[in-house]
Amino acid sequence: MTTAYRVWEMMERSKTGPHIEEDDFLPKLFTPTLKKLITKYEIKFDPETPLPSDDAMADRIWQAGWDLFRKVGIYNTDSHRIIQVSDEEIKEALYVAKDRYWVGAGKDAKLWKHRQVEDTEPPFCIYSPDITVDEHLHHSMCAAYLKEPLLDGFCAPILENAVGQLIESGGPTEINGCIQHIYNMRAAARQLGRPGTFFVAVGTAEHDSGQIAVSDNEWGVRTTDSRLVGTLTEFKTANTLLNRSVHYAQYGCYTGNLTGPIYGGWCGGSEGIAVTLVAYSLNGLLIHGAMFNQHFPFHLNWGSNTTRELLWSIAMAGQAMARNSKLLYTSNGFANAGPMTEMLFYETACHALVSTVSGWHLWEMASTRNKYRNRATPMEARLGVEVGHAVANMGMKREQANEIALKMLATYEDEAATASKGKEYQECYDVQKALPTPEHYDMYRRVKDEIADMGVEFPF
Amino acid sequence: MSLKQLSKLVADGEKEESEALARELLAQGTDPIEILDDLTRTMDRVGELFANLDIFLPEIILAGEALTAVVDIVKPKLKSTQRLPSKGKVVIGTVKGDLHEIGKNIVKLMLETNGFEVKDLCYDVDPLDFIKAAEEIGADFIGASSLMTTTMPRQQEIIEFLKDKGLRGKYKVVIGGAPTTQIWADKIGADLYCEDANCAADKMVAIST
Ligand code: B12
Repeated sequence: MTTAYRVWEMMERSKTGPHIEEDDFLPKLFTPTLKKLITKYEIKFDPETPLPSDDAMADRIWQAGWDLFRKVGIYNTDSHRIIQVSDEEIKEALYVAKDRYWVGAGKDAKLWKHRQVEDTEPPFCIYSPDITVDEHLHHSMCAAYLKEPLLDGFCAPILENAVGQLIESGGPTEINGCIQHIYNMRAAARQLGRPGTFFVAVGTAEHDSGQIAVSDNEWGVRTTDSRLVGTLTEFKTANTLLNRSVHYAQYGCYTGNLTGPIYGGWCGGSEGIAVTLVAYSLNGLLIHGAMFNQHFPFHLNWGSNTTRELLWSIAMAGQAMARNSKLLYTSNGFANAGPMTEMLFYETACHALVSTVSGWHLWEMASTRNKYRNRATPMEARLGVEVGHAVANMGMKREQANEIALKMLATYEDEAATASKGKEYQECYDVQKALPTPEHYDMYRRVKDEIADMGVEFPF
Repeated sequence: MSLKQLSKLVADGEKEESEALARELLAQGTDPIEILDDLTRTMDRVGELFANLDIFLPEIILAGEALTAVVDIVKPKLKSTQRLPSKGKVVIGTVKGDLHEIGKNIVKLMLETNGFEVKDLCYDVDPLDFIKAAEEIGADFIGASSLMTTTMPRQQEIIEFLKDKGLRGKYKVVIGGAPTTQIWADKIGADLYCEDANCAADKMVAIST
């Protein structure tokens, strides 16, 4: 088992926990509790320092996240009851959680380990376009990502159609699409000579039935792979989500908990996001038995997390968890700009820099506000991951990383609201060969050189 | 004690104090319509602050609650010739198979603060349930949110079922959600497409007249 424990108890509690109306849960319980904790623990956002070096505040954020999770609990929108855990259970789960796991299979298996703040060990890097893609481009895009040398794990683009039919959530077309999805991943991994690569799959599954249909060690998602279960923003779950957790635990694969607290929403501002991110990691561990947490905090209006109000939360939550737990968690970048723009390269680099130095693992990169089909490529993820490796190898300190982050922010921050949508995959990649066009490669190289001039020492 | 103070209390979400002041103002003979007009302007301002994220969701919700409380006090004092400016009744939800509810919640909030009466059906809502609820409350609008291409067909089904039931003319169907577009709205015959919550209220007022 991973940390999946007490699955039965969680099922039971979701039926017997305290009742509250769904409409009251966030305004009357979650937000007031969070606000009080922010005041109690004196947590304060400083826009001048997107990447702070404040250990004491990081530790207070950890404590506030713990208190938030324990005091509020997770609401099940089907049973209208709150799943609650005790301090003792949180301590037990944190003690039992391992600080490292072998993931993937055979020669492609990798050891994924907890990182510290300013760790010299490179982050575990999951590549993901986080986007839907035309059916005829799906295999090519899988191959393009799996060609990436620094890839440790892969989450493939999402299908909207399969065998020429529109996939509809919860129906037979979804099952069909999910099978096509994992086939394309497996085929590409085999063709590229890395058949045991660790997958997080399948994103095409919107319904629990779609996920469950692809659990198969021979042709489907293996027990050496991972699957995600989302948490509804904020602090809510539903039976269709718990169905997945129970299935993942019983199938024996690795569970990841997917959470995206929203800046400007129920969490309020940067402070609330930092505290909620910590609380979500505990939610993943205790409610879903997650072996890792996949976090994508984002700005309500922009759908991105590369501006300073979000980078600060990412930095502080990462440091809080790195210093106080041995958990595994990925920082999922969400950019404003689209592929083959310098802005997207800079946004990804900055997100990866801040995250890596703060103890996170990387999950790069959702582009174009995570909204537009075919708008993502491996090149932006490559640059982000290379920055991650570089700053880890250098053992870069937070102060220096903060200076570089400010320089990077200066190149794009003013354009957050108006960023270009850039190009689609097939416009900046050779689809047959799954390689970037020369123009796209040149832009990547140019920005990489500029970032090197800012003080990032790339290994190659 | 003035309308200005009331406006500030409502904007700050101070429900009890707003209620008390509204009662005092009425007792002093302030015209109820004047109070409501003033508060409508206040909520426009609060809405703008939220649109720029100068304030956050919990704050605008508190302001909305304070406003509702004041309206409940002021409403009975209106003379029979004065009409409360209700802009219409809306049934809103996220379509079947779809759990994404954040955008829908924000639209609901913006409509409420703009004087619509809104019934929220939450998420994963069957097309027929939208229609049932609209019939029950005598709605003017049906608002359907979809965040995934795989659930967009459910928006179309609402319109098809309305036709099958001979009810199409009775409701304006408004759609939204990240993957939806004006082209999709035209294709399925929706009455209105809104790209975001900020423009929804104005556009809905425009098509209801
Ligand atoms: C947050 C999020 C989640 C959260 C949702 C939490 C919640 N409680 O709602 C979680 C983690 C649970 C989640 C889960 C999943 N998600 Co999701 N998610 C998102 C994300 C990143 C943001 C959505 C959001 O809240 N935006 C903020 C709000 C404010 O914006 P909005 O919803 O667009 O609403 C505005 C307007 O559109 C408009 N509007 C919206 N509705 C309406 C209605 C009316 C009537 C009107 C007038 C206007 C209007 O006004 C709003 C305010 O301005 C989107 C990407 C994106 N950019 O949209 C993906 C996205 C929607 N998700 C996606 C996917 C694939 C999934 C999962 C399948 C992932 C998985 N494999 O498990 C599951 C699906 C679960 C399900 N069955 O629904 C895909 C859908 C792809 C597709 N097929 O089209 C997207 C597009 C990401 C992507 N690019 O691939 N997700």
